[in-house]
Amino acid sequence: MAHDGGEGHLNGALSCMDLLVALFYRWMKNYPDNPKHENRDRFIFSKGHACTAYYAILADRGFIPMNWLAQYAKNNSPLPSHPCLHALPVLDWSSGSLGHGLGVATGMSYGLKLSGNPSRVVTLLSDGECNEGSTWEGAMFAAAQQLENLLVVVDYNRIQSVGRTDVLNGFTSFEEKFKAFGWGAKTIDGHHLPEINDALNEFPFESGKPSALIAKTTAGRGVSFMEDQVLWHYRVPSGDDVKQALEELGEAPLYFREGNPS
Amino acid sequence: MRKAFSDSLMKEAENNPQVTFMTGDLGFQVFDEFSEKFGARYINVGVAEAQLINVAAGMAAEGWRPVAYSIASFATARPFEQIRYCVSYPNLPVTLVGAGRGFTYSTSGVSHHALDDIGLMSLLPNMTVVIPGDPTEIEELFPQVMRCSGPAYFTVGRFGEPRYQAEEPSVLGKARLLKSGQKIAIMSTGEITHEVLKSVNLLHSENIIPMVYQMHTIKPLDTVTLDNLADQVRAMLVVEEHFPNGGLWAAVTQWNAIRDKPIRLQRVGPPDSFILGNLNREDVRKKIGCDAHSIAITCRLLWNQ
Repeated sequence: MAHDGGEGHLNGALSCMDLLVALFYRWMKNYPDNPKHENRDRFIFSKGHACTAYYAILADRGFIPMNWLAQYAKNNSPLPSHPCLHALPVLDWSSGSLGHGLGVATGMSYGLKLSGNPSRVVTLLSDGECNEGSTWEGAMFAAAQQLENLLVVVDYNRIQSVGRTDVLNGFTSFEEKFKAFGWGAKTIDGHHLPEINDALNEFPFESGKPSALIAKTTAGRGVSFMEDQVLWHYRVPSGDDVKQALEELGEAPLYFREGNPS
Repeated sequence: MRKAFSDSLMKEAENNPQVTFMTGDLGFQVFDEFSEKFGARYINVGVAEAQLINVAAGMAAEGWRPVAYSIASFATARPFEQIRYCVSYPNLPVTLVGAGRGFTYSTSGVSHHALDDIGLMSLLPNMTVVIPGDPTEIEELFPQVMRCSGPAYFTVGRFGEPRYQAEEPSVLGKARLLKSGQKIAIMSTGEITHEVLKSVNLLHSENIIPMVYQMHTIKPLDTVTLDNLADQVRAMLVVEEHFPNGGLWAAVTQWNAIRDKPIRLQRVGPPDSFILGNLNREDVRKKIGCDAHSIAITCRLLWNQ
């Protein structure tokens, strides 16, 4: 997708893939045939730039046709390089500007509580967007309002656009920060599916509190030349890069399986 | 005006169970009745304007009808990107209420002056921008704003402002005729309209009788009335409590620029600069030449030309 579309943030896409798998195939209630079902768990993919991962999941789960993936970032595509709910109405929210996911999720979460709807709200944040002050305004509110139906997953891949997350936040702990803000929080290995599933099964982590799952991940996971390299935050892979990456992963692009319309 | 607003809000909330109200930690005791009666439909998010907007956006996405409230300068400029990205872009029905715009809080300093709020909000697609001038307009326009299918910016003044007489009721999107007249039309928006009406009283004895319109809706602009007026008057005088960029003057000059026969326009309002010092509202208006006396001078000049 990133090669064909000429865009992409593969570091952050590969780092959150296992988290999305655990959420979309197992833990979240979702209805591919009726995407806006009232009882669905709401989902905000706040780190919009990494949406190649999200689109692949949406296609594989049947929310969108598999061959749409070939249109990623193409002219007038339903799958732009940052997700837009006008282009793709199955989404719960658009993303592209960082630092909004948590705040909007608290609004949804409060709204659901107020209507007596037991659905949960999940938002996947990048560690980079925890630089944004608005993220912490939302964190304070969620604790004050005891939003027990809210789960934040932080994709802690430690790499940002041009720097290292730990350097930029002064080597402070996400788990401790969320706890200090009044949340239940856990840190896990974000590539170990049983560990992710176990953590999700314990939701809410503490009674009467919102939950933060800090998932330690590897940027560019699974591709030797991308792993933990700031270079690959938004680099577009060449044809050779794609070939090597697919060999390492033992995979073919999803949409080749269905026939690539281009 | 604030009492008119809290009463109007109560009525809306009574009639529509989806109405919720959130404040950025402002309006001490103004909304006590609301919070007592509607419980969790009242939220104080704290001094957190970004969160104020994002929580309103999230609730609107879940089918609620949020009204988000803060001081005009903080409600608009501080969370501008939240308003743009989370409210205006998804076109959600959130009513953003800015209290004390213009020089309402003049003695509090530049931090509290809201002379760019109309411009900021008018920039945004899908946004309706409504600036009432007296308590009656709050009462008449707020219910109409709450019927908008998308977002709106609505302002309220302080307590105890007088009501003015008008020849027409307030209709969203329509310039409101306050006083009939001839030759000149004075167009103003919001509370500066009180100064306009005073200036018209000053001119009455000289037999200078301009029309007075309150342009409470800046966006969408009532170009139908403007076009009709342009055929009847020799000049329009725009009076505003806003920077020259982005407010009523900007909207009217844009309308005029593409007319086949542009009409003569003149402006009375603050300059494009921060107003320093801690003068009260009356003295600020005098100092920068947008009090009743200054409006009368400009109007007299236009009348006699």
